[in-house]
Amino acid sequence: MIRPLEEVNVMKKMLLVYILLISAFALYVLRFEYTSQVNSSWEDRGLRGDIGETYIMITFQSGLEYWKSPLKGFEDAADALGVTVEYRGATRYDAKEQTMVIEQAIARKPAGIAISAIDPQSLVPAINKAVDADIPVVLFDADAPDSQAYSFLGTDNYKSGVMAADKMAELLGREGEVAVLTLPGQQNHEERTKGFRDTIEERYPSMQVVEVADGHGDAMVSRDETLRMMKERPELVGIFVTEATGGAGAGEAVQTAGGSRHPMQIISFDTNKATLDMIKNGTISATIAQGTWNMGYWSLQYLFHLHHQLTVPAPSASGENAPLPVMVDTGISVVTRSNVDDYYAK
Amino acid sequence: MPNNKEHLKSERFWGRRAILSTFRNGIRRLRLRNMPLRYQLMLLFLLFAIVPSVGLGLLVNWTVERVVERQVEGHTMQLIGKVNEALNSKMENLQNMTYLIAFDPDIDAFMNDNMPLNDDASGERMNKGAIAETEQNQLYGIKQTLQGFTTLYPEIAGIVLVNGSGDYISNEMYPRAEQSLIQENWYREAAANPGIFMVLGQPKERNLTTHVRYKDDEIVSVARSITDEASGRVRGVIMIDLKLRSVSQAARNVTLGKSGYVMVTDAEGQSVYKPEHPLIEHIPAEWFPSGESGTFTAETKGGALLFMYQSSTFTGWRTVGVFPTRDSISEVRQIQFYVVSFVFVVCLFGLSASLWFSRSIAQPIFRLMSYMRRAETGNLRPGRWSDRADEIGMLGNSYNRMLVQIRELISLNELRERQKRDAEMRSLQEHIKPHFLYNTLDTIHWMARKEGADDVSGMVGALSRLFRIGLSKGQDYIPLHSELEHMTSYLQIQQTRYRDRLQYTLNIPEELRDLFVLKLLLQPLIENAIYHGIKGRRGPGHIRVEARLEHGRLLLTVQDDGAGMSNERLAEMLHLLEAPLASLEASSPGITGKSYGMLNVQARLRLSFGDEYGILLESEEGQGTRVTIIHPLMRELPPIPQINNKERQESEWENS
Repeated sequence: MIRPLEEVNVMKKMLLVYILLISAFALYVLRFEYTSQVNSSWEDRGLRGDIGETYIMITFQSGLEYWKSPLKGFEDAADALGVTVEYRGATRYDAKEQTMVIEQAIARKPAGIAISAIDPQSLVPAINKAVDADIPVVLFDADAPDSQAYSFLGTDNYKSGVMAADKMAELLGREGEVAVLTLPGQQNHEERTKGFRDTIEERYPSMQVVEVADGHGDAMVSRDETLRMMKERPELVGIFVTEATGGAGAGEAVQTAGGSRHPMQIISFDTNKATLDMIKNGTISATIAQGTWNMGYWSLQYLFHLHHQLTVPAPSASGENAPLPVMVDTGISVVTRSNVDDYYAK
Repeated sequence: MPNNKEHLKSERFWGRRAILSTFRNGIRRLRLRNMPLRYQLMLLFLLFAIVPSVGLGLLVNWTVERVVERQVEGHTMQLIGKVNEALNSKMENLQNMTYLIAFDPDIDAFMNDNMPLNDDASGERMNKGAIAETEQNQLYGIKQTLQGFTTLYPEIAGIVLVNGSGDYISNEMYPRAEQSLIQENWYREAAANPGIFMVLGQPKERNLTTHVRYKDDEIVSVARSITDEASGRVRGVIMIDLKLRSVSQAARNVTLGKSGYVMVTDAEGQSVYKPEHPLIEHIPAEWFPSGESGTFTAETKGGALLFMYQSSTFTGWRTVGVFPTRDSISEVRQIQFYVVSFVFVVCLFGLSASLWFSRSIAQPIFRLMSYMRRAETGNLRPGRWSDRADEIGMLGNSYNRMLVQIRELISLNELRERQKRDAEMRSLQEHIKPHFLYNTLDTIHWMARKEGADDVSGMVGALSRLFRIGLSKGQDYIPLHSELEHMTSYLQIQQTRYRDRLQYTLNIPEELRDLFVLKLLLQPLIENAIYHGIKGRRGPGHIRVEARLEHGRLLLTVQDDGAGMSNERLAEMLHLLEAPLASLEASSPGITGKSYGMLNVQARLRLSFGDEYGILLESEEGQGTRVTIIHPLMRELPPIPQINNKERQESEWENS
């Protein structure tokens, strides 16, 4: 009579104790899992990488002021994503040196490489080697279309040439001889020159591109080259300089020549301090501003997405609607005396 | 066997137990020995399973925490030292750079104010022709030199050279407003410490900006003034802006064992680098104990924090590791987790084991208890037991055997009592008949004497005596002389009949005549001796009755020289005598008049005195029979009525 009842009571009590024990343990496990997740998961912190991930930006003539802006963009993106970036580059205008720098970078197995190609061809093997080593590669500013790099982020150079030609025609009243001071052989400069030339030929019949000179991307060379052209071609009224250093050189040449000659319209490229100053004092008429910061910033974002497999690379280089855009126009604008103040650093 | 009162008490206790238990047991249960056995065992097992494992767990946890904490602290200190070293070498690099820059002859000239040019001024000087051109070439050379440095060190955000006149050269930086840079704080600070490399920290409200728009909190500037060797006059200042990210990268690149971070502060405790969501914004300089490195804790808004720092005498910066003290190291947490899991498993296992074990021990005991309780109520059915072979199983088997024995004893007792009562009943009934009979016999005796028939008178007198002694006022025990008298009366009567064929001899020592014996022992034996011995013999027979003491027992022997028994008969008799009561009950056909008398005597002796007393039968065919009664020595009358009462009472309980 007493036995079964007591048995049932004891069983009930034990069951309760078991349930309490197990649920207490389950709570403990949950709490542990929760706290360790809080400590270590990066989904919680949004789009964040690891400090150990190193992304490398590789340029040529790496000391050029021009690169400082893309590098700033690259660094800003690195800060936003919490990753490490490094800046490397050929110190000179030397394709072999840049190839070597890329090879060195590949050997360090970085999380991604952003490259500005010195010319369209010579870097292709090195870039392909990096892609084969499963290192995401994007190109910025200067493209190498034959490479297997996933994307190109840069100015639509042909368009910028067209824009410069239109501005030049506007400044010269659609007539006169013009020249181009550029860096022959480098893709982006070639395209700018081509855009400029094509537009002048097609749209402005009374205008003529009389010479395409090589400024070597150096202020002194450009200055000398400008002075030479001014001397040789008295009818020359406008020069389109496809890069900033040369623009400053051309400006200096015009200043040096002084009032001895009829005024020269110079359209430069990029917005460094010297160029802006020359626009302000009237030496240079206009300059084409590129979205250089964008190049660096979005290059890193693209590399990050590729590295974390947040997106898939385009199936082919021609895939216009690929998940990751193959071609990104970082934008251009024309800077003249009227809006130059906006381009000074605040 | 419990007595009545106890029995009642226990029954009452168990009956009301359920009602009272809640009230009483509340206090009683607090003591271990008052708990049910099952709980005692369970608690004991749990104690032995859990306490050591919890203790072990705590010990392991404590040890591991201490060891790991110490190791991690050492490791962290090393990492902080590495960061500190990296920062130091970075700064030394920058210092070297300022020297290298100053070595450049063009820059030296610029510092000497021989070439007072800067970007703004350059336009005005353009008209001066060739001189201006050389100046421009010099400026270009200087800029190329500076660019060389930034090419090699991408972590440099900008370099600016300022000479005593406030002219400047820089690739990257220019003033926001047209105002001499000499008025700037950083210039004056550098000038105030001639030739000394100054780590200025993050610039504040500086009249300088970089074209790529590095914000003030993204850079750290260092400066060194260039002095004239001879006069010690400050000729100008070289300032270098280092990207803060190169500092922060060094600090962030260390993964600390604890959940803290590394920050870099300047000598005043202002942070040079701190992570995005720091635990503390600003560490007051007075918190730091003296010494190059150390550890201290402080209470902040974010809770108690542990600081580990190393300071650099070169930069004056401190590399500080900041850790919340409440957070333990993840490895320790991991170990803690395992220890807790282990303790839990042990708890669960221990609980299950103790439950099972206590059940397996306590349940049979509990069952035994309930069987005993059932036995107390008189139900002597054996309990059901599992077939375990351990002590518990043995206990159950013993208990069952005990119950069987008790039942046997009780039934034996019942039988004895019933027979006793029957005998008494019979004797009570016989009390009436013989009284009338022997009064009548007395009358006949006296009448025969009157008539002169002496032999009749004697015979009737003997018969009367026989009956009187046979009744003996209902007493079971009589003195031996009465028994002898009874026997002689019988012999006398029989002699009347058998005359010379029956002779007898009494050999009774005088001192034994006062001993008490069970009554009517000898007469049935004499009767047997006459009817089966003497009668079956040719010629006169002799009966010998003797009494003697042997080993404290009284031996009464009745011996005849009659026909005796055949071997088969003797064997049968001996067999019957082994269990006299059963033989009497069975009333089997083998029991004749002869055997009845002997069995009766044997039964009475056994019932009264136990199995060690009784009859010894010896016989030989043609030679005679000898029957010996083994009787206890009783010098006085045993207290018969009391014994009877008590026994009856006991048997009543057993039967209820």
